[in-house]
Amino acid sequence: MSNVIVLDNGGGFIKAGHGGERDPVTVIPNCLYRPLSSKKFLHPSPTASASTEDLTSAAVRRPIDRGYLINPDLQRDIWSHLFTSLLHITPSNYSLLLTEPPFTLPSIQRATDELVFEDFGFKSLFITDSPKLVHLYEASKRPDGLISKAQCSLVVDCGFSFTHAAPVFQNFTLNYGVKRIDLGGKALTNYLKELVSYRSVNVMDESFLMDDVKEKLCFVSLDIARDLQVARKRGKDNVLRCVYVLPDGITHTKGFVKDPDEAKRYLTMTGADSPSLETIKGIDRPELSEKLEDRRRIDLTKNEFELTNERFLVPEMIFHPADLGMNQAGLAECIVRAVNSCHPVLHPVLYESIILTGGSTLFPRFSERLEMELRPLVPDEYQVKITTQEDPILGVWRGGSLLASSPDFEAMCVTKSEYEELGSARCRKRFFH
Amino acid sequence: MDDDVSNSFRRMSSRTRKVAPRMAAALASSDNRTQAAIARLEALENDYAGMEMVETNDDDEASLDDDDEGYLQKKQSKSTKRKTRQAKALENARKAPRNFLELLHEANLESLPPHVPSYLKAAVGPPSSTCRRHFCTVCGFLSNYTCVRCGMRFCSIRCQTIHDDTRCLKFVA
Ligand SMILES: [Zn+2]
Ligand SMILES: [Zn+2]
Repeated sequence: MSNVIVLDNGGGFIKAGHGGERDPVTVIPNCLYRPLSSKKFLHPSPTASASTEDLTSAAVRRPIDRGYLINPDLQRDIWSHLFTSLLHITPSNYSLLLTEPPFTLPSIQRATDELVFEDFGFKSLFITDSPKLVHLYEASKRPDGLISKAQCSLVVDCGFSFTHAAPVFQNFTLNYGVKRIDLGGKALTNYLKELVSYRSVNVMDESFLMDDVKEKLCFVSLDIARDLQVARKRGKDNVLRCVYVLPDGITHTKGFVKDPDEAKRYLTMTGADSPSLETIKGIDRPELSEKLEDRRRIDLTKNEFELTNERFLVPEMIFHPADLGMNQAGLAECIVRAVNSCHPVLHPVLYESIILTGGSTLFPRFSERLEMELRPLVPDEYQVKITTQEDPILGVWRGGSLLASSPDFEAMCVTKSEYEELGSARCRKRFFH
Repeated sequence: MDDDVSNSFRRMSSRTRKVAPRMAAALASSDNRTQAAIARLEALENDYAGMEMVETNDDDEASLDDDDEGYLQKKQSKSTKRKTRQAKALENARKAPRNFLELLHEANLESLPPHVPSYLKAAVGPPSSTCRRHFCTVCGFLSNYTCVRCGMRFCSIRCQTIHDDTRCLKFVA
């Protein structure tokens, strides 16, 4: 087994394992939580395990704020648990490949280096940004493809804390071209909490639960006006309506989608579909809608809630933050601005090699919608081609694993003794150019 | 006009201060009010429950499994560790966990020369088109009306009635 630990230290999840392997050993939430029944903060179980922990109304502490490591003490606790109980390693025998977001402040870099070398005593360290790793991984998958041949791509990383459009050229992230939207999966979950709390049940304290609701039920609309119409309809014609059942703490400690088939009905709507016929049917049957109003009222007392337009209004935020009163451009414009910050020679190649990564790109129809919005903003003579990753959550880690197994990896690292001699700031210079 | 703006701004800011941690400021989405926009982002980045309870009372970090502490070299090696002034300052700073915006402020990125890429310059910036769609805070449909008292949006008389009866100013009181 390799002696490199690859650690993708995300704001939402930590992905960690051994360099050279296809998948990480473990994926854990990067937080501690305190269940209602406890006075202590606990380590959450890895995401893949069939845990029975009751996360209802649990308080959460995260070492990462807006994407950046702001609480090294808390991060140390979480890493300590990770290395000891999940990876079963002794850090002093290993090198570490660690991800860090673009534009990390020097004070945060110092604190990170101190954690790695002084608290855990790793042998050596290599710090890298995620876009570069995603690029490396996709290039390696298709050695004859454009991304590999041109050594160039535009990585769109829609993560937990924020969204970046980052041009990568000759395997380096062009930091002057990186553009950021201050929205990611966490903000989307919080927005969903607000909508549901405001309209049906108070779920403001249910981050874990609402993450599940978001992942299972939200999707990206290809036609907002049409979908808002459909979401208003009564009865069977409303293919967007679905019900989520809240945990009752007795028979089930996790929530679930009441009728998974019902929840998938929105897939019958295509981008070009006209809803007009159905709309008329819905309006023409007032007696049916009366009955449904009744049912809806009863259901509210049964610890469940209904979702309709919330399902697509939540991901809509990434495409149009301005709708929510946030003065930021949406994803398509963000990409255009990132491309325009680069040399014009690169523009056509960048538009033709867009790679989507990060958990928030998993919403159904994300890439179709992005292409729809992007096409009119890109000069006609350029092609727009969007590649989705096989696993957008693990994409960064897999790129890291690949890099860690390359023959010159050790030479790129800063060793513990170099750190002790030179200090953080001078060691850092080596990682970027 | 001027008076109107400053008035509504004052109303907005006192309201958002109370409301932001809970929610609502958000759904009021008012144009051109940076205050509201900041409160909005704060609300969306909040860990809600976590934030409120945690900061005040906790020594809870000591509560973690003891065997996890095994690989922490710091305690033993502390005396032999070369200490720079920076490291000491950092250590003091680390005693109180801070949020990113404080660290950002401290980093003083505004003082960098204009050609140096930074966190601030990477922000995508405002949208090029100023047309904004508003969604009704009651039903989610596109809305054309704003509540004169609280600034939230609604789409119809029906939704206005619901808003007035149940939600208007609820989070302020
Ligand atoms: Zn309405
Ligand atoms: Zn009102």
